[in-house]
Amino acid sequence: MLLPILVRESLCCSKNSVLLTSSNIQTCIRGLQGKGARGLHSYAQGFLCRRVPSRLNPQIRGAKSRKSQTKQQEDEWRKRNKTVLTYIAAAGVGMIGMSYAAVPLYRLYCQASGLGGAAVAGHDAEQVETMKPVKDRIIKITFNADTHASMQWNFRPQQSEIYVVPGETALAFYRAKNPTDKPVIGISTYNVVPFEAGQYFNKIQCFCFEEQRLNPKEEVDMPVFFYIDPEFDEDPRMARVDTITLSYTFFEAKEGQKLHLPGYSPISLHS
Amino acid sequence: MSTAMNFSSKSFRPRAPDKGSFPLDHFGECKAFKEKFMKCLKGNSYDNSMCRLQSKDYLECRMDNQLMAKEPLEKLGFKDLMDKPSQENKEAKP
Repeated sequence: MLLPILVRESLCCSKNSVLLTSSNIQTCIRGLQGKGARGLHSYAQGFLCRRVPSRLNPQIRGAKSRKSQTKQQEDEWRKRNKTVLTYIAAAGVGMIGMSYAAVPLYRLYCQASGLGGAAVAGHDAEQVETMKPVKDRIIKITFNADTHASMQWNFRPQQSEIYVVPGETALAFYRAKNPTDKPVIGISTYNVVPFEAGQYFNKIQCFCFEEQRLNPKEEVDMPVFFYIDPEFDEDPRMARVDTITLSYTFFEAKEGQKLHLPGYSPISLHS
Repeated sequence: MSTAMNFSSKSFRPRAPDKGSFPLDHFGECKAFKEKFMKCLKGNSYDNSMCRLQSKDYLECRMDNQLMAKEPLEKLGFKDLMDKPSQENKEAKP
């Protein structure tokens, strides 16, 4: 008698299971409990309760599919971010590499084009031959001589000034005397003021950047053979420049020491 | 060397001389020519254009005494002095 009732109840429960909420499940179970059937009832209860959660899957499945969609999107974003970051990192490394490569590349470019102050030898040698003196622009060259504090030579120019024109080669003399009882080796460098005029001041031959040895009590004349580039007259920045000062400074050199030549590549001094 | 204040304009760069360094005239072999040149300069109020002949002589002395590498004088900018003096006068008049 009880069995058909149980079966009916279970069928009823299973039919309505799609729309069942949790409360309905509980009333169904309570109803079953109310019948008072043991053993079979408890078995049926267990069976029902286990089955019901699976029937409710469609609703939960819907929520899960929404979540998986956003997860997909997140994955996509993450992938995109990663590629962008990789590109940026590669660009950064590329910039650093370029800055290292720029040093030898710039050197090559300067040697090819003659910029950066390093005179291209071929160009200058031809120029001395063909340049025309600009006779109406007279420039006064003043001379200055210095020695390093520990250098005991008497070093001075033999003329305080000289008047030249651009494009004309000129000769000037310095005198150096070694008053000590020991041979002294000196090495000199020069400076031209104003700085912008220095690029037009070309020395054909002088006594700088090489060791000069003076025996005890010896006095020598040191010539400087130079010219001012004719383009000096065409430079608007040099329009007001009338005086150029050439300044030499002598330092004492240790035996065998070679003063590092300014410029990029080692230039051999002996022609 | 040069002040760091002017970044835009070219700072001074000492350049090696084109033909290198003069060997020292320890024995004063060309001292006479040098004296002539200095006297000429003093006489002409230190105008280089008037004393180019003396400077040419000095350099020739250096070349003769192994104190300078031998070079044709045109390469040293004395092309105008190699021509006749009359031509030089014509060039002086602009």
